Amino acid sequence: MTTFDRYLHTIIDQAADEARKEGSTTVEAHHLLVAIATEAEPTTAGPLSEAGLGRREIRDALEREFEHSLAAVGVVPAHFGLPPATCAPERPSTMGASAKLALERGLASAARKKDLRPAHLLLGILRAEVGTVPRALALAGIDRAALAERVRQSAEQETRA
Amino acid sequence: MSDRPPDQPAAPADPADGLAAVAALRRLADQIEDAAVEQAMRAGWSWPQVAEALGVTRQAVHKKHAQRLIAAGVKLRRR
Repeated sequence: MTTFDRYLHTIIDQAADEARKEGSTTVEAHHLLVAIATEAEPTTAGPLSEAGLGRREIRDALEREFEHSLAAVGVVPAHFGLPPATCAPERPSTMGASAKLALERGLASAARKKDLRPAHLLLGILRAEVGTVPRALALAGIDRAALAERVRQSAEQETRA
Repeated sequence: MSDRPPDQPAAPADPADGLAAVAALRRLADQIEDAAVEQAMRAGWSWPQVAEALGVTRQAVHKKHAQRLIAAGVKLRRR
């Protein structure tokens, strides 16, 4: 197992736990993003922190996106007064469509499998043009294209090292 | 002139907003379902009652929620 394979497993495990806590039955791209921000890995942590994005900032941005998207159709989650449900004991093992696309894009962004670095995984998430992650980043005032370019450079430098 | 009440938002003009609203509503519906099913089962509802109220089969609601509710210590009625 390569270093990248181990990193990928760690991120998918953490993302599945994020999904479980959210009550989601699938792991999605935004869960992967939170997992990447949680894992202190230099090639991803550098560009994310330069953009002012830590785990908390990303979670806040995702929550704002959720509320903003619901507000577009006049729904306010706080109006539902039900107590929160108990989380499932098991992590979901199914990858959702957005996570599959993020992984495909990430793995395709390195020329060879042996060149894959953690930053390529982040790049795969940031390359989505539509969906929850780009909307959340836009609402948080993040220049996603500039961040993706910075992450691409980080991946390239790490590949050369 | 529109029949829309003044406090109701206009339909999203950008397709991205409409599609994002669908994704967010699905997520919210799942969260409300988890909470409402747990509340009903804690109140002593049976699986067939919950299933009928949700408009799904008993098997479907059991498969989706049983493991979570058992782990949460909810006393479940068999019928």
